[in-house]
Amino acid sequence: MTDLTSTATAPAGKPSAAGIWHWLLRHPPVFTLIMIVLVCLVVGMINPDFWQVANLFDILRASTVRGLFALGVLVVLASGGIDVSFTAIAAFVMYSITMLVTNWMPDMSMPVILLLAAAGGAGFGALNGLLVHSLRAPSLIVTIGTQYVIRSFLLTFVGTALFMNIPVSMESFGKMALFTHHSASGTISVLPASVLVLLVAAVATWWILQRTLIGRGVYAVGGSPGIAERLGYNLRVVHVFVFAYAGLLAGIAGIMHVSSNRLANPFDLAGTELEIIAAVVLGGARITGGSGSVIGTMLGVVLITLVSNVLILVGIPSTWQLAIVGVFIVMAGTVFSLRPRR
Amino acid sequence: MTIIRKLAACAVALGALGTATAVIAEDKPTIVTVVKVTGENWFTRMEEGVVAYGKDNASVTTSQVGPAKADAAQQARLIEDLVAKKVSAIAVVPMDASALEGVLKRAGQRGIKVITHEADSMKNTMVDIEAFDNKVFGARFNEKIAECMGKSGKWTSFVGSLGSLTHVQWADGGSENAQKYPEMELVSEKNESFNDANKAYEKAREILRKYPDIKGFQGGSAVDVIGIGRAVEEAGLQDKTCVFGIGLPKDTGSYLESGAVDGISFWDPKDAGFVMNKVADMVLKGEEIKDGIDLGVPGYEKVTVKKGAGEGVILVGQAWVDVNKSNYSRYPF
Repeated sequence: MTDLTSTATAPAGKPSAAGIWHWLLRHPPVFTLIMIVLVCLVVGMINPDFWQVANLFDILRASTVRGLFALGVLVVLASGGIDVSFTAIAAFVMYSITMLVTNWMPDMSMPVILLLAAAGGAGFGALNGLLVHSLRAPSLIVTIGTQYVIRSFLLTFVGTALFMNIPVSMESFGKMALFTHHSASGTISVLPASVLVLLVAAVATWWILQRTLIGRGVYAVGGSPGIAERLGYNLRVVHVFVFAYAGLLAGIAGIMHVSSNRLANPFDLAGTELEIIAAVVLGGARITGGSGSVIGTMLGVVLITLVSNVLILVGIPSTWQLAIVGVFIVMAGTVFSLRPRR
Repeated sequence: MTIIRKLAACAVALGALGTATAVIAEDKPTIVTVVKVTGENWFTRMEEGVVAYGKDNASVTTSQVGPAKADAAQQARLIEDLVAKKVSAIAVVPMDASALEGVLKRAGQRGIKVITHEADSMKNTMVDIEAFDNKVFGARFNEKIAECMGKSGKWTSFVGSLGSLTHVQWADGGSENAQKYPEMELVSEKNESFNDANKAYEKAREILRKYPDIKGFQGGSAVDVIGIGRAVEEAGLQDKTCVFGIGLPKDTGSYLESGAVDGISFWDPKDAGFVMNKVADMVLKGEEIKDGIDLGVPGYEKVTVKKGAGEGVILVGQAWVDVNKSNYSRYPF
């Protein structure tokens, strides 16, 4: 959202329709929020069952892994790059670490596992960053390449079988409840503690982007690499940082996926890259770089999760569900494309 | 090392990768089974059947190969290698049937006998082996669900994706069978799990929210019952719901134990591997594959033979295996 500071704020005074429109255009997350509210109202009207605590818990739970990925994508997008290898990194890290811990160190505690996953993911990410920087190649191409390599390596050398018996520490972390809600009909729904991990990651990402020098560097490089370099930002450091950070979050997301799923499947997560990127863009980040905020990204993730988690409630047949999500993304994306160019 | 020796070493290494090299030196017929991917529990179990047939029948040499990654192009390349080596027969479990038509046609033209498994739309095969009729298999799931839920109440079905033909056939077979029971109501059918247990879980949660009184779930992909089982377990509905579907005993075990999943069915890949090689051997000997023959393996004692998509025939067994809490541990895969 730093680009907002560079544009002049609208003159205060009478709130005309055009004025409100311009204000909205400059605050993209507000758009996302309005869309969330609209979707909730429409769905709630069609099926009042929507207004349940269980539903809220489910959407928050389903947002955790997506949200962690999206924060990483946000940082990469803000720097003007794009990353599609994060799901492959997450799958690799989650499967190898689960295997490692189960076979050799079954007593490893959750914080150590998370640290290991973060380090592993950051390692892969840093490799992406170095390749992007040294080859001067488009990051889309580089990360498509590394995605294939990482995935193949995982399936060829690490394993392809489903891992059902995940380490006790991961399983109990997945079952850890922040809140437990008993509905009137007697069913139980649980808000898992893993949403706290997303919260911490969101605050950390916000802090890095808004309060640190490297965060300014990220937006500056995303705005114009040439100018950023002349201002004294080290392009290599920024490139390696953004991809390593995306990798780090992907590693953690992988572990969250395994512990809440209670199994490690190396074929999981692949193919979800684009919906994550869509969520970040729906949260107001420009795909061309230089903008985007943490709050917007979180709203974008909630919006995508919401839309894909209410289709059964609304009664849309499964043959139509993907089409509805697709149409929704196009519609929401159109709203953002109406924003004035810089 | 001279360059020539280096090259020779490379060639040996490459040959070892191809695996089939070891068998061509011998005179007796060689049958090579090509699977979707090596290392998966399912195909490791299939290899047991392939090896067992070779052990029982000294007149042929049997072996199994497969790409390290479930990839149609890599599988096609493996088969091209086998065609070049001119093995006697190839038994394939295709990753993508249409992607293999070309290479299997070439194999047939060179006199190599081609047998396939799980590919009833395949044109360039002499015999395609199906463990069972997919519609009948789906109907069986439904029959169990119906029995478990007292032939009345709401039920739903899952598929890996709407593009997976067999999954859709199972779901349709199930819904056709349910028409026998007017009190059973199919709701929100064919939910896509995208072969991800977590997606199946999320969908099952949503269905439980929309239909709190739902009683039956039919799983499509092998991980569907795992995801549904977790949702049912978390909602504390183990005793109020009936969950049946395809699944693997080792993976689904803990949910069968807790009662969240009531029963799973599958076909034993070991038997399928054995039967593929047996049929290949019969074709090599010139024996006729006709309706009602007994292949001497449980589930394939009285097979149905019908015309295939191309010149060949489709051989259909009744080789399903149903397990529940009491007997799943007998199957180590």
